[in-house]
Amino acid sequence: MKKKAQVIPPDAYPQMVSKSDAIKMARVLRAPETAARAARVIQDAGQKLRQGVHDYVRELEAATGNRQVIFEKAHEIRGFAETAGLRATGRIAAGLCRYFEEMGKLGAVPDNAVITLHVSAIVRAAHAKDEVNRAGDAVVKELAALVAHKLAEARAVIAG
Amino acid sequence: MSGPIFEVLRVLVVEDNQHMRSLLRSLLNSIGIREVYEAANGSSALDVLREKPCDLVLSDLAMQPMDGIDFTREVRLSPRSTNPFLPIIMVTGHTERHKVEAARDAGVTEFIAKPITAQSLFTRIGEIVERPRAFVRCESYFGPDRRRKAQEDYAGPWRRHGDLHDLQVQ
Repeated sequence: MKKKAQVIPPDAYPQMVSKSDAIKMARVLRAPETAARAARVIQDAGQKLRQGVHDYVRELEAATGNRQVIFEKAHEIRGFAETAGLRATGRIAAGLCRYFEEMGKLGAVPDNAVITLHVSAIVRAAHAKDEVNRAGDAVVKELAALVAHKLAEARAVIAG
Repeated sequence: MSGPIFEVLRVLVVEDNQHMRSLLRSLLNSIGIREVYEAANGSSALDVLREKPCDLVLSDLAMQPMDGIDFTREVRLSPRSTNPFLPIIMVTGHTERHKVEAARDAGVTEFIAKPITAQSLFTRIGEIVERPRAFVRCESYFGPDRRRKAQEDYAGPWRRHGDLHDLQVQ
């Protein structure tokens, strides 16, 4: 017979702050001025973050043919390009990650052409002067459609 | 408004990306948290915790040599852990179901999906301070209660001895 699970309520273990301080903290965290201050922090960090994204983009370009490294770098770019104000770059990287992950689930080998298209689009988007523009959004949509098509193709092959 | 109340908190940021670490530190500073420690992986984070007991951890998932899942397991289960109840927020771009479930089963308290926003970070911190979770200890798990809320229409098997009692009380 399995042992009974022990449930330890919050009052029975040490809490980081008292209940009254917790309420005050939650109020501060929800305050519009807190959000405004944080937005300024993100804006101020933008230049450094973009530099970080560019470092990853260089490593992505250099990883030609190495799918594992390409996936890892795309994953890093997806993680914070959007926070750095490079929305299209982040979304293209997210599309590439999704392609890798879904193909992995299907047990299929990713198509090199799809990877190359994404990598070159990430490089172009990351260095575009006006990254968040209609062209960027259009590329994101076109690549998403390509990924959907390729995944459908791979599923059809597996289904026989 | 943000200052003194948060000054008592000590937060550890575990992240292999220096830019992300720096951003998280700045966001924490912006609400008045002054004591922010940093580590680039789970193993270094355990060393920091032995020296500097913290109130909250923000941790990445994928890191070398020790990732966020093994780090969480160490915090929850190791006899050398300084605080097995330590709240751990996993900040990750890995949103695949199996990875999220693995992190949850290791005892992670909350998740934030990258790309992060200040709102997502502050909402999770608010959840932890305002609504701390019960912990569960059983043969195969120790960590925050993985049941977020009672599901009235739950039709699956009972998994805990107290389930029927809990249902009747509700």
